[in-house]
Amino acid sequence: MIPLLGLLAGIVLGIVLEPSIPQVLQPYLPIAIVAAMDALFGAFRAYLEGTFTDRVFVVSFISNVLISAAIVYVGDQIGVGSQLATAVVVVLGIRIFTNAAAIRRALFHA
Amino acid sequence: MDLLNQIIRQPIDPDYAVAAARGDDSVKGRWMLAALAVIIGAMFAVAALQTTRAAPALQSERTELINRVQDAEREQDQLRGRVTSLAGEIATLRTAALGDDDAASALEMRLEALDPVVGNVPVSGPGVLIVVDDSPSATADTRDRVLDIDLQVLANGLWQADAEAISINGHRLSSLTAIRSAGDAITVDFRSLTRPYRVEAIGDPRTLQARFVESSAGAWWNDLAQNRRMRYEISDVKQLDLAADPGMVLRHAGKATS
Repeated sequence: MIPLLGLLAGIVLGIVLEPSIPQVLQPYLPIAIVAAMDALFGAFRAYLEGTFTDRVFVVSFISNVLISAAIVYVGDQIGVGSQLATAVVVVLGIRIFTNAAAIRRALFHA
Repeated sequence: MDLLNQIIRQPIDPDYAVAAARGDDSVKGRWMLAALAVIIGAMFAVAALQTTRAAPALQSERTELINRVQDAEREQDQLRGRVTSLAGEIATLRTAALGDDDAASALEMRLEALDPVVGNVPVSGPGVLIVVDDSPSATADTRDRVLDIDLQVLANGLWQADAEAISINGHRLSSLTAIRSAGDAITVDFRSLTRPYRVEAIGDPRTLQARFVESSAGAWWNDLAQNRRMRYEISDVKQLDLAADPGMVLRHAGKATS
């Protein structure tokens, strides 16, 4: 319940306040969001399996975002930024799909 | 593939199981979770806002660029018109300056013979019209499309067949004309062409078409038409009107020594 409320509050805050992201960080926002979605789906699946823990979620989320942003940053420095961004999206996308399928099975038994 | 297998088999952080077994749950963790949820929500909202904001800006930039290109093209047309009128002025001034003695009339004869060949004046007369176009099976294969070299070969073949004047889509060719590709389009005199390509050539109506077909350019285009199924139509025309090449300008002038 807390995370859902938090998410809604965050969306409302984001729309109302419109915080401006520094230009330097802008390219990493989409990647950070994909990483956040991965962490969210993983957390929801863990919740359904009854193993969810706040601390692990916080740590996994922050590390996910930082590592994916770092990968893309390094890629940008050596000229393969967009390719590495694709790699990150593909890997996280696979995880998101697998977790979403597991969540669907757990919720609807189908 | 081991990496992908592992991602699919273990999509959930293994630490969840470990931490659950240890059973640590704290109030501080709850607050962290709530704060993180707010941050994630804000991230979604900001990213979505930024993307929707950026779209109209990109669109307006694009239309702005298109407008600038069109303006520049209009200006170029105007300048070309001015070049043509100035060239006419030069011609009248030259006739006036030459006077009417024998040497002058000999010079004028030479000018009259050379002007049409060089592309300096508009010409009209019988000739051939060749229409070429990309293959209808417009695939991504660039070999099925008319390339700059194909038009170059075509033009050179027509010169070889003794064409006196050639124009492609209304752009008169001279010895200074460049036929090149820029991006997806073929340009003649740095102006892009739109398909289909109409090549008009003025020459001896009895021999021009036959000599062109027999030349290596004719063989090249036969091959393209048969193997690449490009459009290639050649027909005799009784009357063709070709404009002068506006790129031909007076580059050198001197006072007559008399």
